[in-house]
Amino acid sequence: MNLDLIKAWEILITNFPIFLNGIVNTVLYALVGTIVGLLIGLVFGVIKASAISPFDSKGVKILKKVSQFLIGLYIWFFRGTPMMVQALFLYYGLSPIIGWDGPMAGLFVISINTGAYMVEIIRSGLSSIDKGQNEACMALGLSRFQSLIYVILPQAIKNSFPSLGNQLIVNIKDSSMLSVVWVVDLFFQTGAIANTNYRYVETYFVSALFYLALTTIATFFLNAMEKKLDIKDGSKDYCA
Amino acid sequence: MEKILEIKNVEKGFGSQKVLKGISFEVLKGQVISIIGPSGSGKSTLLRSINMLEKIDHGNIYYHGNNIYELPDINKYRLKVGMVFQNFNLFNNMSVLDNCLLGMTKVLKIDKEKAKETALKRLDDVGMQSFKDRAPQTLSGGQKQRVAIARALCMEPEVLLFDEPTSALDPEMVGEVLGIMKKLAKEKMTMIVVTHEMGFAKDASDEVIFMDDGVILEKGGPQKIFNEPEKERTKLFLKRYLSN
Ligand SMILES: Nc1ncnc2c1ncn2[C@@H]1O[C@H](COP(=O)(O)OP(=O)(O)OP(=O)(O)O)[C@@H](O)[C@H]1O
Ligand SMILES: [Mg+2]
Repeated sequence: MNLDLIKAWEILITNFPIFLNGIVNTVLYALVGTIVGLLIGLVFGVIKASAISPFDSKGVKILKKVSQFLIGLYIWFFRGTPMMVQALFLYYGLSPIIGWDGPMAGLFVISINTGAYMVEIIRSGLSSIDKGQNEACMALGLSRFQSLIYVILPQAIKNSFPSLGNQLIVNIKDSSMLSVVWVVDLFFQTGAIANTNYRYVETYFVSALFYLALTTIATFFLNAMEKKLDIKDGSKDYCA
Repeated sequence: MEKILEIKNVEKGFGSQKVLKGISFEVLKGQVISIIGPSGSGKSTLLRSINMLEKIDHGNIYYHGNNIYELPDINKYRLKVGMVFQNFNLFNNMSVLDNCLLGMTKVLKIDKEKAKETALKRLDDVGMQSFKDRAPQTLSGGQKQRVAIARALCMEPEVLLFDEPTSALDPEMVGEVLGIMKKLAKEKMTMIVVTHEMGFAKDASDEVIFMDDGVILEKGGPQKIFNEPEKERTKLFLKRYLSN
């Protein structure tokens, strides 16, 4: 490999505003995708995890089954196809109806794609919570919704925090696929720079360093957040 | 005396297995009822049915004369029928104090400061006030169960159900929990206690129910059940227990 570090430094300096513009978009897409995906995951994950209870009315039972089936289809499609294909398919497929542009479609796709993974993460987080926690809530007269909000979800989120956080890392990298619908992210801008200076090795080397910096910073923040959850959870060791 | 609960011909199965086969008894205000019997006889299922954690197949359960399956809001009923579990089931994501506060503030909608006062009083009753900021994970089994009892008492239930509250405890911690339950019995708290602690059943209860294979085989005052049981099965069960 023929990597000229001095050239790379030059490329970084001269194109810094362009790189920065790409970085801002990458961060924006990764954050929005992860947060909206988490919200989708919370709502659908709770529905997917909710067992049919003998106390449910017939209507509720049918509603649960149908919605669980539909959520299953959603997960099946979005986890089983590449995000690039999803982006192009939905952009072209829905633009006659919605009239959106590529970047808007990209934001939608990264959110809904992340959601599909988050549903499964939340669902398995919920299933890891001891049934007794929910029964204790019921015995106190808490509603199903109150039990979820105050007792079950906080524990499920804490248990699955590493997997949830990992989606942010994945999105920092995978948002690069959205350049196919003209999302001007770091990957898109790197390509634009390389196509004018023809120094592919050095330009993509700089790009890789930026991605590495972003994922490292994100990891650092996620670790700090996880620590904070631990403290809030009160699982500090008092027995010392 | 005032009748709080009436259990009438309750039947319950899991799949093809019948677990409760026609259970009937009454719970009067201030009464302490102990339920004893071999493993698998349906004691937990019965308690769970009373608290609507299980749905019964046949029969009826009346709360102050009203069928509990026809109540407009089952959560209002559940909070009146407290439950103490074998595995404590303290909320792992909250301090001891918050465990006690949750039901009072979110279900009873009591103002936070007032709820705190009550919670601290109840924790004091079980000797756990100084542990109020601790996480459940840092407590011993006996301490967890005492908190669970305080949490249930905070809701001012009319009846407290105990499902083998001391079975998961190390022997040296059984006494502290039984002591609290005995104190509650003296204060005329209405209780239904599923237990393997024959000493408690004998000394603290007004009525003892012996369950076997989904039916109430024998029922009566502790004197009768422990000193002159009628049924062979009861005698055998007690003999095995008391010789241990
Ligand atoms: N959710 C369930 N699904 C299937 N079978 C169950 C369920 N809960 C209880 N059973 C069965 O019902 C029977 C009675 O169980 P139950 O827990 O009520 O007995 P128990 O008298 O409380 O016993 P133990 O003293 O061991 O606690 C057992 O055979 C048990 O396997
Ligand atoms: Mg049991």
